Amino acid sequence: MKIIYSHLKQFLPDLDIKSDKLRDDITLIGHFTNFYEKIDNEIVFDLDIKVNRGDCLGYYGLARDLAVFYNLKLNIPQIPTFEFASDNPSIIIDSTDVLRIQAIKLTGVSNSTSPDWLTKFLNLHLINPINLVVDLTNYIMILYGIPCHAFDTTKTGESLVWENNLHQKYSQFTTLDNTTLKLEPQNLLITNSQNPLSLSFIGGKNSGIDISTQNIILEMAIYNRSRVRKDSKILKTVTEASIRLEKHLDPETIPLAFSQLIHLIQKHTHAKISSSLFDHYPHPVILPNIEFDPKFPSTVSGIDIPIEFSTNCLTDLGCSLSPLVKEGTKERLIVTPPSIRPDLTLSHDLVEEVVRFYGYHHIPTNQPLSSAPTPDITPKILHLVEMTKDKLVSLGYDEVLSWPLVSTPLDKKNVVSTQDNINSSFPYLRQSIIQSLQSQVDQYQRLKLNHPQIFEVGKIFFQIDKKYIEKYALGVYHYSETQLKKDLEQLNLKPITYDNNYAQIILDNQDLNSVKSYIPQISHNSAYELTHQLIVLDANQTFNSPQDPQKLLASYQQKINPDTFWSIEIIDIYSKPEKNIYRYTFRVTYFNTTDKIAKKTHLAAFNLN
Amino acid sequence: MYQLNQIVSLLTDKLEKIETIDQIEAIKVEYLGRKGIVNQLFSQINQVPSEKRQQHGQQLNQLKINIQNLIDLKSTTLKKSSKLTTTKKESLTRSLNKIGHLHPITQTERHLNKIFRNLGFSTYHGPEIETDEFCFQRLNVPQNHPARDMQDSIYIQKPDYLLRTQTSSIEARLLANHKPPFKVAFPGSVYRNEKVNRSNHFIFHQYQAVVVDKNVTMKDLIGTMDLMFKQLYGQDVTIRYRCKYYPEVEPGVGPDMLCFQCQGKGCPLCKHAGWIEMGGSGMIHPLVLKMAGIDPKIWTGFAFGMGLDRLTMAQKNIKDIRTLLGGNLAYKPNQL
Repeated sequence: MKIIYSHLKQFLPDLDIKSDKLRDDITLIGHFTNFYEKIDNEIVFDLDIKVNRGDCLGYYGLARDLAVFYNLKLNIPQIPTFEFASDNPSIIIDSTDVLRIQAIKLTGVSNSTSPDWLTKFLNLHLINPINLVVDLTNYIMILYGIPCHAFDTTKTGESLVWENNLHQKYSQFTTLDNTTLKLEPQNLLITNSQNPLSLSFIGGKNSGIDISTQNIILEMAIYNRSRVRKDSKILKTVTEASIRLEKHLDPETIPLAFSQLIHLIQKHTHAKISSSLFDHYPHPVILPNIEFDPKFPSTVSGIDIPIEFSTNCLTDLGCSLSPLVKEGTKERLIVTPPSIRPDLTLSHDLVEEVVRFYGYHHIPTNQPLSSAPTPDITPKILHLVEMTKDKLVSLGYDEVLSWPLVSTPLDKKNVVSTQDNINSSFPYLRQSIIQSLQSQVDQYQRLKLNHPQIFEVGKIFFQIDKKYIEKYALGVYHYSETQLKKDLEQLNLKPITYDNNYAQIILDNQDLNSVKSYIPQISHNSAYELTHQLIVLDANQTFNSPQDPQKLLASYQQKINPDTFWSIEIIDIYSKPEKNIYRYTFRVTYFNTTDKIAKKTHLAAFNLN
Repeated sequence: MYQLNQIVSLLTDKLEKIETIDQIEAIKVEYLGRKGIVNQLFSQINQVPSEKRQQHGQQLNQLKINIQNLIDLKSTTLKKSSKLTTTKKESLTRSLNKIGHLHPITQTERHLNKIFRNLGFSTYHGPEIETDEFCFQRLNVPQNHPARDMQDSIYIQKPDYLLRTQTSSIEARLLANHKPPFKVAFPGSVYRNEKVNRSNHFIFHQYQAVVVDKNVTMKDLIGTMDLMFKQLYGQDVTIRYRCKYYPEVEPGVGPDMLCFQCQGKGCPLCKHAGWIEMGGSGMIHPLVLKMAGIDPKIWTGFAFGMGLDRLTMAQKNIKDIRTLLGGNLAYKPNQL
């Protein structure tokens, strides 16, 4: 959600906070602000709005929060009274998914391109300007967070119907941007009884406003958000309107927002109101009455928050508060939140409101939970997992984590498959951890990593008698099959399933009763991301006396750039003491570099130029 | 035609008996030479039925690698035993012995486990194939709740079974299976329906801690989180705590760490925010406790969770998230 500082001021004329501070404050009260930037002489903030705060998908809702935080007066635009005509617009609501709609007919519209301020506003919100009427509907949507729409009655006819696509009466719909959507049963549509004109969240090509449009039906509505969400998902179409209509919006804000829209369209297009105001609102919002102990914010937060602060904060947010009632040592009051805050339904919700405005920074950070233990409920299998990992590390094995999703099943009868997996080449959950290890070994071979010794502990999955079974499995690979067997004997785990250089042991099948509590080793070692194949180069060095191999290795290692040095070893020592010849063959492995650079480094290190 | 397993078995026997480097060379020619056993097998591949040819080719490639590895291992052993008579054997041996390594994610998990063990926490686990009930509903996310959009799921069987999208499902199991008081912390891998590329993966790792007891407060939560961050990242780390939304907690708390790369100035790592989001937390929602049969008027608790992958990547200078799983992560052999 983009917010332009100067436009925020139309709701908060006294707002005078530096951009850095405003960014941080908006974040601290719950709307994470990634950054702000200066574009076209405007300061634009980029906010992540929480999914339960649909009200803040418009300037109005955010301004209400900031008014409380900075103790500023909230400026509600004053709209002149309209003179409505007596005729009702011809609108039929034939769907229970319409929670509230206001609509009006305007004639004599003088449409045009938008003025610069409006074009700039929309551009900064990454919305393409279309024409004045359409742009004003988008402007009001961004100000109040409630989508609205205009229909050209010359194209649609005078009568509009809100209906669900029962019995798939309508088969397809073409959007404003010329995309044809195949309609599904129950989709909420606006039609003229013959053709679909619009979905609840995107307009249609056959009803759109163009520069020559003169007569329009203007509407603003809030729908059953589940319906909008389903339609948006099924039709794979996401719009600024669908993002908002999926949230819990406030039907009581419609009169304010819609009247400002009418006012702006009249003002800029000289349109005439040609109908009465249509207002369909079958089930007005019932506000909850929340029993609230004003000391509760202190109880939950663990710090002392003055009662006066709590009650003032809730009042400033627009809540109605009953007088305080004392019952013995307890005090309580009834809090009725404003309709624009449907997220406030429980006393805990009110606590969050109080604490976020009081400031989380008041809560001390140096008083952690007491270390008094509660009963140990650690499952024994976890001790076995950790113990096994440490044993394998001590035997020289490296731990890897591999993909639990695989491309082919080992046994089709009991394989667990995924549905609608984006990574469609890997649709199955592994039935053996060896499947995953093989991919890792292949990868190491591509990287020319010699002699891998690796292991993994992870889950393997089966479907048996319509039940999903998962077990901890240990998979091990050694480049020497003989050594693999020798090493695994030391683990005392059975049975072991061998597959050439691979082995698997099901840890869940071990005698867990005999497993004791185990405190694993903490170690910090270096792991590297290989971006190129390893490069292995040998070098002979001849001396006239025996050398200390360790000193030799250290001495040559020092001559190599540590950023490309992987390993060094002596792979051969040839000696003829009678002739004072001692030849040492070194093998150096280089990483994350090119052949050319590695060779140059190598020749220099061993003075072979 | 040779049986492939027999070839390896015969080679192993032969290698056990040989004593000199010259004998090794002869074996190498016999098996891997131009007219050796392996090449003969490759030349006979046309005799294999076409539908099995690809698989047979892969088996031969693996056989070749196995034979090379066995010969290399024997060669190294012989060189160590026969040629070090005039040098310090133990020094060379040290340069050749391999030490093992734990995966960086495991290292981080263990570090966190230790921190929480010192605070009296148990560890825990839960299934990776999870039900909608424990992954969402018991965490206060009913069907069609927009919060479900925060987590694209990989389903096993729609709509009831999926791969867990968050470690909070383990929390839901914990609450259902144990009576308070308890203090528990646990790592877990979680799944999202994301295309795998340099920046995204379908699997990643989270760590979560859950406490339910009498009189647990936000002060306990923030104090405990701060202790954890300081032990993980050092005493100088700067953390801020802010309001954040998660359906399973109320109030919600979001910890952010001052970006260690830019110190708050804004950089690509912190997406120019100056701060790095470190996960989510809050006081366990009373409805979540109620659904688990725990009376929220008596018991209160907190939960917090954090991702481990991005921070591990930053610590190890790993740029590609695919490196962590089945990728290009490798460990240097033992250092001098």
